[in-house]
Amino acid sequence: MIPQELSDLFIHLTVANGIQVAILGFIGGILSGFIGSGGAFFMTPGMMNLGVPGVVAVGSNITHKFGKAMMGSKQHGELGNVDKKLGIFLLVTAFLGIRLAVMINTALFESGADGHGEKAQGAAADLYISLIFVFILSLVAISMLKDALSKQDGNGGPSRRIVDFLHRLKLYPIISFPVADVKVSLWVLLAVGLATGYLAGTIGVGGFIGVPAMIYVFGIPTAVAAGTELFMAMFMGAFGALNYVYQGYVDLRLVLLLYCGSLIGIYIGTYGTKVVKEIVIRIVTGVIIILCVISRGIAIPMYLRQLGLIDMNPDWDIYFNQASKVLLFAAGLSGSGIILFYVLRAYRHKRRVVSTLAGGKSSETKPAST
Amino acid sequence: MQITTISRGSYDKGKELAVALAENLGHLCVGRKELIEAAAKDGIPVGKMEVAILKPRHFSERLLLIKEHYQAFATAYLCERALERNLVYHGRAGHLLFPGVRHVLRVKVIEKVDQRIRLVAERMNLPWEKASRYIQDVDEDLHRWVKTLYGVDWNEYSQYDMTLGFENLTARNAAMALCSVAGMPEFQGTPASVRTIENLLLASRARLALARNKDTENASFRVECVDGVATVTYRPVDTPVAERIPEILGKVDGIKGVNTTMAAAHILWIQEDFSHSEETYGQIVDLANRWNAAVELIRYSSELDEDQAKLVPNETPRNASKASPDEYNGGIEDDTPESERKTEDDGGLEQTHTRLVKDGVSGGHLSCGGEIPRLLDTLESHVKFNLVAIGNVFASKEQAARTRMRRELISSLSEKLRIPVVETEELKQTYMFTFKQAVRFAVYLVLAASIFLSVFRNQGIIQQFIHSGTTSGKIQAAAFVVVVVPLFAFLYGNVAKTLLKLVRIE
Repeated sequence: MIPQELSDLFIHLTVANGIQVAILGFIGGILSGFIGSGGAFFMTPGMMNLGVPGVVAVGSNITHKFGKAMMGSKQHGELGNVDKKLGIFLLVTAFLGIRLAVMINTALFESGADGHGEKAQGAAADLYISLIFVFILSLVAISMLKDALSKQDGNGGPSRRIVDFLHRLKLYPIISFPVADVKVSLWVLLAVGLATGYLAGTIGVGGFIGVPAMIYVFGIPTAVAAGTELFMAMFMGAFGALNYVYQGYVDLRLVLLLYCGSLIGIYIGTYGTKVVKEIVIRIVTGVIIILCVISRGIAIPMYLRQLGLIDMNPDWDIYFNQASKVLLFAAGLSGSGIILFYVLRAYRHKRRVVSTLAGGKSSETKPAST
Repeated sequence: MQITTISRGSYDKGKELAVALAENLGHLCVGRKELIEAAAKDGIPVGKMEVAILKPRHFSERLLLIKEHYQAFATAYLCERALERNLVYHGRAGHLLFPGVRHVLRVKVIEKVDQRIRLVAERMNLPWEKASRYIQDVDEDLHRWVKTLYGVDWNEYSQYDMTLGFENLTARNAAMALCSVAGMPEFQGTPASVRTIENLLLASRARLALARNKDTENASFRVECVDGVATVTYRPVDTPVAERIPEILGKVDGIKGVNTTMAAAHILWIQEDFSHSEETYGQIVDLANRWNAAVELIRYSSELDEDQAKLVPNETPRNASKASPDEYNGGIEDDTPESERKTEDDGGLEQTHTRLVKDGVSGGHLSCGGEIPRLLDTLESHVKFNLVAIGNVFASKEQAARTRMRRELISSLSEKLRIPVVETEELKQTYMFTFKQAVRFAVYLVLAASIFLSVFRNQGIIQQFIHSGTTSGKIQAAAFVVVVVPLFAFLYGNVAKTLLKLVRIE
């Protein structure tokens, strides 16, 4: 049992909510393997909906991400998809970003005493995390959907407008990265590293900024962007985990429960990318993120009330929380359901040999004996 | 039947040479411009593809399909003409449009850069510096085009039979010299090479038929044809349309049968002699079934080089196994009767391939001889593989030499392809579920479960320890988490991976 003095920070875990955390991990893992991001956009708010304070949800998730990134980065490294030099440059400022994020989160968590609600202590941090979450992920989801829908005619991959613009600016010193085969201004690198670290430390989803930034701002291939991001995530996760553990905001039980689901889900999600068309991947991802954003947005009035910023009946908190939780689970379940549907269908089809034999043009098809 | 390809850049004498050669020999002359115009007329957006290639990393899935369509169109267009008349083609990469056709005379034209800059400066009325930059850009574009479309370096001289410079030679005289080369026995069409062209033409027509059909236009396919039977490999994402393939190809003249294989991955199996009764065959097919993979066979023997390389001008002779390495025939091959061909010693390649087709995991087959770099060059233009399995190669060497050369081959392939390269003996150990793996699985499961249960049984103590108030307590807590978390991730991650392997989700 968790001691009374820590019960505000670490929730009481029953078999039921323990299973819910593992399911969060499983869905997060499927989405993570499928989309290529950490899956924190689902798991962090999911844990918050289960009553985990935002700062502990972020701290536990970033710790969970650390171990997962270690395994992923190793695999990408073997395939030559990791530009270590680029990763190290980005990490320098990413650490600063994480430190900044942890300081802000901790300060906000420890403030909030001015509020009226019984949960006012964590409300400021929860509100702050939710607002950043809604803002950043709305941008990501909208651009992802726009990109997916406008590229249906196949007019090329990611836009190079920003890359070309920055090349024209020639902000010296410019550093060459042979693995990723790009040249990037040091100042741009530092800015992207800082933003990635700050977001990883604040909402645990640095990859949503890091990977698109590497593709759209640096102009590097998607596979190298994903591999380098995992390499960074390993160090950022370790650094973030150390920071949050040092502050005492990591719930080891949640980390292990998340792993129970995520490490299975991630393999299924990765398998899904082989059997689902690229356009479907982008649309499904965009819609899932939008639903997660709405789910988090629904919880915001609750935090505003707890901080005394709006006047609302405290009994309504439960409705906001439940609505947010239902929507989040609906998003995750429907998204992972679609992915599982495709995975199972492909699994069933596996392989077949169809033969048409000579003798006119009639095509008699027959499944293989395999 | 003769085919000559002149690979040229811009502002050199390649076109002039091709026209003069065709005139001297009385052959049909086809240029890149004509080919591109015909492709555009057929509805292939070549311009869009070219722009995408020139802007690296802009290649979307749709453009990859356009690339497949264009390659099929170009091969079909030139094969049709080559079967009608002797042909001289001048363009960027004509030598790559007839894979496996041995009698193609492949010529590359080089011109001094200064000469080309001068020509650009004169024609476009540009200052020297701008003209030089222009030539540089044009050359870069050409390299990108060849690399993107065929995966090879345009400047790699080993892919050409001759390279001609024009510093001391006029195009007309070069054409006269080429006339006598073109008359050599190595560059005369044979019944075998005609068959290869017919197969290529049929495969290209089949690919185009799939590209032109509304149901299959957005799907990616790899088509191979042998004696009228088409083998179509498709990706799992294209499963919904795969059932339409036989019906669509049934309407293509010359197609007698269709085999379709779904492949999410490609396994390359390199060996000197194949047999479908050996244990390795079963293991590879099992692995291919787990991965939804197609298996491509390469019969590789360094011994083939000394004899066969002399009579195989083409570096990537598909189905080259039909030529016996022991007989030098001056490039002239008989149209061996079907029954006889079957009995030729090809190291079991054909038979094993047929068995793979039956098992639904065929991904193609070819022979390759020579040193390791030649094998690497052959692989350069192939599909991306996911795994390479090396079997019994360098069999004629002594034990020590064989081990060393095998190791060298594995390290060269790993470096070049950047994918796992394993010896067939290791396959079971690495990718199958063995007793050792079962023990490891059990140990990892017990350890992971122990950590899990320890944390939950002592959750109060552990969370209090993590939330310690003192600096030394915080440091100890951080060290504890940094050790326990990755350890659990490693143990449980391996357990999860093995579990999914057992249910064949990899």
